[in-house]
Amino acid sequence: MDIETVRNVAKLARLELSDEELQTFCNDLNDILEYLSMLDEAPDVECFGFNPIPVADVLREDEVGYDVDVDSLREMLTTYQGWVRGPRLS
Amino acid sequence: MGEGATAVMSGLTFDLEKLNQTYHMFNDMAAETVPGEDESIFQFSAKDNLCTKDLQARAGSRILEGYRPPFDATAVARLRSAGGVLLGKTNMDEFGFGTFGTNSGYQVPLNPFDLKRACGGSSAGAACAASVIPGHLALGVSTGGSISCPASFCGVFGLTPTYGRVSRYGLIDYGNSLDKIGLLTMDVGHLRRFLPIISGADPRDPTSCAQPPLELDAEVRRVVIPEDSLNGVDGDVLETFQTAIEHLSHMGIEVTTMPMPALRFALPAYYVLATSEASTNLARYCGMRYGERNEDYNQHFDPYFSKTRSRYLGQEAKRRVLLGTFTRMVGFRDRYYMKALATRELVISEYAQAFEEHDLVLTPTMPFLPPLFADIEGMSPLDTYKADGLTVPPNLAGLPHLSAPCGYVDGVPVGMQFVSPHWTEGRLVTMAESWNGAHPPMRPEVIL
Repeated sequence: MDIETVRNVAKLARLELSDEELQTFCNDLNDILEYLSMLDEAPDVECFGFNPIPVADVLREDEVGYDVDVDSLREMLTTYQGWVRGPRLS
Repeated sequence: MGEGATAVMSGLTFDLEKLNQTYHMFNDMAAETVPGEDESIFQFSAKDNLCTKDLQARAGSRILEGYRPPFDATAVARLRSAGGVLLGKTNMDEFGFGTFGTNSGYQVPLNPFDLKRACGGSSAGAACAASVIPGHLALGVSTGGSISCPASFCGVFGLTPTYGRVSRYGLIDYGNSLDKIGLLTMDVGHLRRFLPIISGADPRDPTSCAQPPLELDAEVRRVVIPEDSLNGVDGDVLETFQTAIEHLSHMGIEVTTMPMPALRFALPAYYVLATSEASTNLARYCGMRYGERNEDYNQHFDPYFSKTRSRYLGQEAKRRVLLGTFTRMVGFRDRYYMKALATRELVISEYAQAFEEHDLVLTPTMPFLPPLFADIEGMSPLDTYKADGLTVPPNLAGLPHLSAPCGYVDGVPVGMQFVSPHWTEGRLVTMAESWNGAHPPMRPEVIL
């Protein structure tokens, strides 16, 4: 992994890194990735899931309900005339 | 911080402010005082990544400064319903990213047995509180060993239930397929009393809904040690562990060894899965919804999000987000993420084979004594990750496990870790009670 790759990954992760940070993380990540390459030696397994236990679908009655009071959530955000404020999209 | 907060435990009253000035175990404390006469009322603490109505939930991170959730995590709500009074939120490595408790955005908890040493992470404050406050019950969270490790370093019992046994509703996620809420305490009776209270299906967390009933009565006769697990364990820890094995034999438990070669793949698989999941979970901390706010709404969303994240996430959080983003990228996903998922299945199968003829799998909990802070500074990130080599395998596999204090070296505790099959926490509770009967843990001398 070179500095440019780290810079690209940081951009995807929405992190602004200084040149010094880029170099430090580049060194650290190369050490770590070299260690992770041990996975190449692990025998393949045919079936696997995304959780360590079987997970069942859970359905509830189709009724409107709120876990948390909506107004209390709105109070925690910056709002303008009842709308949640956010940054520009373009 | 609350003023005049006290802990009333085992008939003794503790000034939490004073305790916290010495040990740094709490991030936020309640102002409530509870008389100690009503035995149905008990006090407990919750790790800082568990949401609670009346206190901040910052998960040890500066980016969540000021976040006060409007609801309780299910585990906290269930303890409150059972008569529990929440004393405070315990300090931790930021979002659970650490092995020593030193990656907190706030103060670093100090080991009750030696203030120059680490408590272990990431439930550092929870283990510290469980060790220092008599009779205390601490809710902890483990992703890759964050209950076992600090339990071992602080000389307390740390029980991590099966993945899915305790609802994760209200937990600030690190790795969704790995996170487990459990208990830390020096009072072994708390495991039997409180595990059933926090366990059980919760429609708000579908992973908790497939669980069988919790059975606490069990027998432990045969224990097995993975052959390679003792490689790399420091001599003084090994000696203490060998003595504990002799004690187990005297208790009538047969201890043998067997090869479990697939366990060596658990650590790399864990760091791929944990960081992959963490990097997506942390995307929500962007300066808009929780904690630290970026009020510059004229900015485009890219620099807007990046500014808050870059300023308030700590170095280890950034490192793990970078690693997890990389291992999910197009071109690398199959090699890392998918392979790690397959490897988890391999590790689960390896354990299943061991459990065909044995009740529990046993190892030391950590390969060395609680380290001095000065020594931690010299460790690379990879060195630190490798320190999780014994706690990660059961965590990756979602298996319940218990760290129990098994001896002391120069007054500093050593832990051993028992692992049992999915949904058989009863074996661990039984083991803890039997061990405690013969070898009760030592209390640290509390400094006020």
